[in-house]
Amino acid sequence: MRLWEYRWGLAFIAPWLLGFLIFYLFPMVASFVFSLLDFSLADPGATTFVGFVNWRRAFVEDPEVLASVGRILLFALISLPIGMLFALAVALLLHSRYLLGTRAFRTLFYLPSIVPFVAAVIIWQGVLNEHTGWINLAIEGITGLDVTGTDGIRWLADPRLIYFTYTLIGLWGLGNTIIIFLAGLQGIPIELYEAAQIDGAGPAQRFFSVTLPLITPVVFYNVVIGVIGLMQYFLPPYVINMGSGFPNGMTNFPMIYFYRQAFTYLNMGYGAVIAWIIFFLGLFFTLILFRTSRYWVFYAGGGEES
Amino acid sequence: MREQRLLLRRVVFTLGVAVLAAVYLLPLMYGLSMSLKTRDQIASAKLSILPLSPRTWEYEGRQYDLYEVPVDGEVRILAMMKRGRTSSVFMDPQQPGEQIVWEGNWRTLDRVWKVDPQWSNFAEAWKATKFPVLLKNTVLYAVITTFGTVLSSLLVAYGFARFSFPGKNVLFVVLMSTIILPSAVTSIPTYAMFYFLGWVGTWLPLMVPAFFSNAYNVFLLRQFLMGIPRELDEAARIDGAGPLRTLFQIIAPQATPAIIAVALFHFFFAWNDFFGPLIYLSGKGDLYPISIGLTVFNNMYTSQNHLIQAAALIASVIPLVVFAFAQRVFMQRLIDTGVFK
Amino acid sequence: MRRYLLLIVALVLVLAGCGGPAQKAEKTQVRWFVGLGAGTDEPTIAAQEEIVKRYNESQDEIELVLEIVPNNQAYQTLATELSGGNAPDVVGPVGIRGRDSFKGAWIDLQPLVEKYQFDLSIFDAPMVDFYRNPGEGLLGLPFAIYPSFLYVNEELFEEAGIPLPPTEYGQPYVDENGKSWPWDMDTVKRIAMKLTVDQNGNDASSPDFDPQNIVQWGFGIQWTDARGIGTLFGPGTFVAPDGGAQIPPHWAEAWKWVYDGMWKSHFYPNGPYGSSDLLKNGDWFSSGRVAMVHCHLWYAGFAEINFKWNVYPVPAYKGKTTAKMHADTFLITKQSKNPDAAFKVLSYLVDDVAGELCAVYGGMPAKKELQGDFLETFFAKRWPGQEFNLKVIQDSIQFADNPNHESWMPSFQEANTRYNQFTDLIFNNPDVDVDAEIQRLKEDLDKIFRAAQQ
Repeated sequence: MRLWEYRWGLAFIAPWLLGFLIFYLFPMVASFVFSLLDFSLADPGATTFVGFVNWRRAFVEDPEVLASVGRILLFALISLPIGMLFALAVALLLHSRYLLGTRAFRTLFYLPSIVPFVAAVIIWQGVLNEHTGWINLAIEGITGLDVTGTDGIRWLADPRLIYFTYTLIGLWGLGNTIIIFLAGLQGIPIELYEAAQIDGAGPAQRFFSVTLPLITPVVFYNVVIGVIGLMQYFLPPYVINMGSGFPNGMTNFPMIYFYRQAFTYLNMGYGAVIAWIIFFLGLFFTLILFRTSRYWVFYAGGGEES
Repeated sequence: MREQRLLLRRVVFTLGVAVLAAVYLLPLMYGLSMSLKTRDQIASAKLSILPLSPRTWEYEGRQYDLYEVPVDGEVRILAMMKRGRTSSVFMDPQQPGEQIVWEGNWRTLDRVWKVDPQWSNFAEAWKATKFPVLLKNTVLYAVITTFGTVLSSLLVAYGFARFSFPGKNVLFVVLMSTIILPSAVTSIPTYAMFYFLGWVGTWLPLMVPAFFSNAYNVFLLRQFLMGIPRELDEAARIDGAGPLRTLFQIIAPQATPAIIAVALFHFFFAWNDFFGPLIYLSGKGDLYPISIGLTVFNNMYTSQNHLIQAAALIASVIPLVVFAFAQRVFMQRLIDTGVFK
Repeated sequence: MRRYLLLIVALVLVLAGCGGPAQKAEKTQVRWFVGLGAGTDEPTIAAQEEIVKRYNESQDEIELVLEIVPNNQAYQTLATELSGGNAPDVVGPVGIRGRDSFKGAWIDLQPLVEKYQFDLSIFDAPMVDFYRNPGEGLLGLPFAIYPSFLYVNEELFEEAGIPLPPTEYGQPYVDENGKSWPWDMDTVKRIAMKLTVDQNGNDASSPDFDPQNIVQWGFGIQWTDARGIGTLFGPGTFVAPDGGAQIPPHWAEAWKWVYDGMWKSHFYPNGPYGSSDLLKNGDWFSSGRVAMVHCHLWYAGFAEINFKWNVYPVPAYKGKTTAKMHADTFLITKQSKNPDAAFKVLSYLVDDVAGELCAVYGGMPAKKELQGDFLETFFAKRWPGQEFNLKVIQDSIQFADNPNHESWMPSFQEANTRYNQFTDLIFNNPDVDVDAEIQRLKEDLDKIFRAAQQ
């Protein structure tokens, strides 16, 4: 019986196992080897082995690495809860039986996730401009407050606002997260709600005693993927400011710093160290989430061994 | 009475969501508005949603802008012949030839605008990107890899969700590691490997790995499969079904929303995938997908933002249709849950 | 252990190098990589494809393959190809900046010049020497130069009732009262303020001027960095004679002049305005909202301008004029598998079809015999029916900056990142202590340069 299960288990995961051995193992090992080399992408022929010099530089000599990690943690602390709550709230609205035209609304909320990235960047740079951006103009039009201009709301230049601005941009790409929450909500048997209603549970109670526990597997997924994504947070600050860290270096996140070292300074040896630091950071949080999951993630099929 | 109250609640609720959607989609409106303007209309001081152009009047072969000019207590529509800081020269289109000198600052005058959408942007974007070729490549890439990744990821996810085997937890961490390590750092050895295989310059490096599953999809499907009661598998096994049949006939239908979600996400990812095609297809214009085609408008210095937006809209039509269609399956599932045991 | 690790990398490179797609024909393949400079703009693509097609039909030894990569992805793509074992052979057109970003990636062309007896006398000798780097040899052959000058929107001068700038270098500016002024930064600032207008029509010299609602500006240097701005006031370099960092005093003056222009006198578009839709997200001149713009010849090659404009001399600073210069070249990569064939292609590009390619990119040919009536032909074709002060462009060449504003610095990209932070700061903040920031910039650059020397 156990042998039967081993065999079938391995057979089912074989596609991934093979793919990993063929396509991932070598590049991952190689990228770790890079971190031990003085390796310029412009002149790979001149590569030399330097041992842990790059690692020492990252941990001892270069304060920028630690600072960038601090920045991404702060940004994650702001961006992750806001993003998750927003996506869950939208999913609940879209799942509500009071909503007319559900399909149309779901498509509308997913739309931004379809927009090609080149176009999205132009849109954000346009709407966030403090003089001509539609966001400031709309706020001014609705509230009557004078918020345009360099003495108004400076979305991309104000160090106090910047993490919220990028969180706002992030909300726009949450289509996938919303859909995953929705799929989770769809899977909840209606009888459970009916039973709760018979027991006299109000909407809030129904949410906390039925809905939330039953969607914990997808909440777990979204949080894990959200954390991994944040540790590698890169594209928006990279394209909006050319990765300059503006304002005040606050958008110098680890992945931006990796990219600059590896593909601007062409110093792949040191870049690889930063990438592996990003890896260990992501792995650390992922493992913590998996460890704690047994206390709060509920699997109807039994999740005893995750 | 009760039904009326329910309907009222529904209407109010829907209106509320509509307002939220409008705010959420404000940036998209900006892109849409841009796609219907010329570069000059975008740069116009009148930052309007509608693509406006100043009305002009032709006189002796030249175009002159029309302004609303207050003259002797009434506002007249006049053409500005010569601008000046303190006085400007106008002409009344009704009485050509007669010059009217107006004392004052012309910038305080309102122009006469007309709605002037540039539908030709779409035609131009279509033509300049050689869209049909891009479309064919993109559809092939998206469809083939979506099929591959959904199938393989479902198998792998089922393996991780339902079977126990030695080293399973470690292997799952290794699986997750492939997405925790930034792919940019492995891009060079990966490239070297595919170059060694002779695959650079073809679609193979982008398509083949999709058939060996992908951690995001496996993890998502695993989460859903673990939420399906094990009794279903056991019942199937008692009926004599093997694991493969159990997966495809019993379990997969229960996980339809998740499978659809994975398929959609991968489809849209492939549709907009940029960097992979860029490095592996560099120099092979005939093989480019839409995402790379869009960059012809994004030049070193000036970018043709209006054409990028127009092309982006064209490129979004198929994903939009796909999404709308996939909705049906979602809705289907909602009804099915009623008979869920 | 150490050897084993090195072996893995060596193995990647070697395998990648000798493996690779099997050559189908007996023709030697030469890949031409375009993307670090001109050549990625949509209208130039077809023209380059045509030249490649013609080259391939003209002989049967070499198969030339064109690879055009969008500029903002070109660096990563080239880096991946170079280190992934699939290096292109010829790279260009590329400026000094692009070349020095990939320091160590290029071969010295001198041996090939000698081997194939390429006649360098078709170029001016100083032009060739410009590409000689101590210790690295001849990196690139001259291909095109792009002098800079002022692009002037004549309609805005007319509206303001202000006379146009002088039409030749050395002439004074004559104002509306007939008074003569030297054509220098003070004069430019004065007239630029009159040409700067808010939405109510008040100009920047008026007390009622509203700096939060500007709709038109007087002066700007389009698409440049701290070194480019500094060079308007005179050539210089961040590298001190002892290898440390220095800030040329006139560069500091230039930055403060621009800072004042953005935040106090308001005649220069600041960061938020400069990237806004009003100013076409950085394409200032063609928006029609900036009266005088300092930029290079290549701008005339692709700009869409639908108002009356002309070219005028760059103003002087303390009696000395500097018109910064861009220069493009073609290079051969060290990783190239066929440097000899690559050199044949390179000499074809910088010699045989140089004139045609220059017309595509909007650059003045470095090849002497093509220079004669290049400007007349180029402008007549690109801007038919308009008259231009073409002598100004010709004369700008003699005011070229030496040292060039794009010249080599130790740790080129690190230094570049640091001074871009400085420009980000002053372009976006109205309350910067510029002198203190310049001091900080100097200290940081000093650290970067000295670290590179070790």
